[in-house]
Amino acid sequence: MQTDTSTESDDTLYVDAISAALADEMRADPDVVLMGQDIAGHGGAFKITRGFLEEFGDQRVRNTPIAESGTIGIAIGSSMLGIKPVVEMQFADFVSCGFNQIVNVAAKMYWRTKHPVPLVIRLPGGGGMGAGAFHSQNIENWFLHTPGLKVVSPAYSGDAYRLLRAAIRDPNPVLYFEHKFLYRRERSPLQTAPIPDRILGESSILRSGTDITTVSWGWMTHRTLEAAEILSQEGIEVEVIDLPVLSPLDHRGIIASVEKTQRAAIIHEATCTGGFGAEIAARICDEAIWSLDAPVRRITYPDSPPPFHKGLEASRIPSPERICSELRQLLEV
Amino acid sequence: MTDQDPDTAHSRKPNPGAPSSAVPVSHVESSPRPVGSRAAFYSLREMHAYMRLAREWDLRFEKMFRTGALSKWYSSVGNEATTVASACAIEAGDSLLTLHRDSGAILRHYLDINALLPGILPQDPAIRKPMGGDSKQRFLRLACQMLGRENGFSSGHERSYHYNLFEEEWGLFHIGMISHLGSMIPVAAGTAFAFQQQGSDRVAINFIGEGATSTGDFHEALNIASVWKLPFILVIENNRWAFSTPTSQQYACDHLADRALGYGIPGVQVDGTDAEAVLSVMQTAVARARAGDGPTLVEAMLGRHRGHSEGDDSLQQVPEQELQQYGEQDPLDLAEKRLIDGGVFSRAWIDEVSERCASLVIDTVDQAMSMPEPDVHQARSIYAD
Repeated sequence: MQTDTSTESDDTLYVDAISAALADEMRADPDVVLMGQDIAGHGGAFKITRGFLEEFGDQRVRNTPIAESGTIGIAIGSSMLGIKPVVEMQFADFVSCGFNQIVNVAAKMYWRTKHPVPLVIRLPGGGGMGAGAFHSQNIENWFLHTPGLKVVSPAYSGDAYRLLRAAIRDPNPVLYFEHKFLYRRERSPLQTAPIPDRILGESSILRSGTDITTVSWGWMTHRTLEAAEILSQEGIEVEVIDLPVLSPLDHRGIIASVEKTQRAAIIHEATCTGGFGAEIAARICDEAIWSLDAPVRRITYPDSPPPFHKGLEASRIPSPERICSELRQLLEV
Repeated sequence: MTDQDPDTAHSRKPNPGAPSSAVPVSHVESSPRPVGSRAAFYSLREMHAYMRLAREWDLRFEKMFRTGALSKWYSSVGNEATTVASACAIEAGDSLLTLHRDSGAILRHYLDINALLPGILPQDPAIRKPMGGDSKQRFLRLACQMLGRENGFSSGHERSYHYNLFEEEWGLFHIGMISHLGSMIPVAAGTAFAFQQQGSDRVAINFIGEGATSTGDFHEALNIASVWKLPFILVIENNRWAFSTPTSQQYACDHLADRALGYGIPGVQVDGTDAEAVLSVMQTAVARARAGDGPTLVEAMLGRHRGHSEGDDSLQQVPEQELQQYGEQDPLDLAEKRLIDGGVFSRAWIDEVSERCASLVIDTVDQAMSMPEPDVHQARSIYAD
């Protein structure tokens, strides 16, 4: 079991930040209940809830049958009567089996009835592990197109901790995308700032630059920073913007940056067509088109499912080298 | 038959769920009413008053639909015995999840009929204590909801029964439907989960049609509810036709109640036109749920009396003879006949109840019609603050 991390702490693994956020919020609020497949005795497919059964008991740490729709629906109903459920999808990909409950029941409930649905669904997603088409997808855009949901996608341990606690406190349904590739690779300090009681749109400039603005989230933020470091040595200064919260989207920081750099690229691991990069590009065009010196570029996965073979998969995911190459091209326009 | 269009041939197959079927049903609960019991007549009288109010409610809106005053209506006619009796088995604090054929359950759960029609029933209820709070206001708001008025429960944003009403101070927790039939089963089980988690003895009931038993949510929710022993009663209103699809094309088992066996819970088939029989089955199911013994699946056998929605032609699929049989098994007629035959109540009294209910509905709906429509420029947030 994790120690209480609400005080200042050293570098924390991304996976431990998620565990700590769950445990701390469960200690703070007895109405928080976890539901998911194999999360109790086994501790979950990624061991995020290891030790939870012992600390919180089987009433609050509920193994479910393999029934995403049923589980999410039960979470919705209970959330309307005072429970704060956190549902773990074993893999983000499986949430498609609970799609109707999310987009038609949970997302529309407040608009229809003014009754809040304080529900969190955790979605371990993303590729990089050679796990094939049904354990690697980046599907945030399915939900970004649905009014009434909040969608977060933290790139750092600190954001992962803060946003998960805030998501549990938020009175709205929140889809919390956690990147599996970052679980045991990303390590950074947990923030000590007070935890907000809701998810608000936010963007943060991780690196200042004057030549190109990039927008990314999750794993791709790390790769974009690597690319920015390489380009800096060539004299190209990239302004790297991370979006820990995708919905609601606060795009003001993006617009201000693009007005300064006059060039923009969106990097995402999700497939291209109809992806969230298109939405961000459209907002840049809506509000800053006269500042642009080049077309807005999207650097994304091709429009195909994730292949199994590691080499095949790696060739699809935007790499620091590919990001560098495309950003160089953008400067030549 | 050989040169007949196969689709036509298929649609003419007898519907095994239809009442003409001579197959004996092992699970049917008949009315447990002790012969000659005065208490039983008082119980039936209480249910009858709410059934009549529900019937008049539907007849009024059907009429309004026909005159063009309403864009859509789904009728509850024929379902009143099941819905009213089911709502008689629950109390304040329990959760109710309904469809568009459950006006009987809604009116029974929301209203103190004596507050609306003074003296129509004795002050001491024979079955169930009425919900506290302002029944008149609730009834008017319900009419406003049907008519899309600002004072309705969704301020004109959602149609008919697609709304929620929570009045926590009175223990009123009603969650309406979405159009995806079957989707509210897990949500209903979720309210039962909240009760269990909070250590209360409250229960959840949810109505579905027989068509929704074909959805994945039926299975997933019933399975989890059974594994977790949730205080949950799922009532199938089997009116034998889902839009235009007969039971012969919906499921292949003899009785949907038998599916309970697969979940390890009791399943009971009951004559859904017999309010006393439904009440008995539901009281047993509710007691089981309150005791922590888990869910019950109830299959109430009904007849199709109206189209899927008013104004569609789905009723044309129902063979004439079958339709006529359903008409002969009208739950209101059955209840009234029983009351009169028992020698306890007169036809004149029954007529008076009908007239008073009809007048109340007409007055309330008229009042709702004169109330403000929503401001089309108002913003409505997608997020809770």
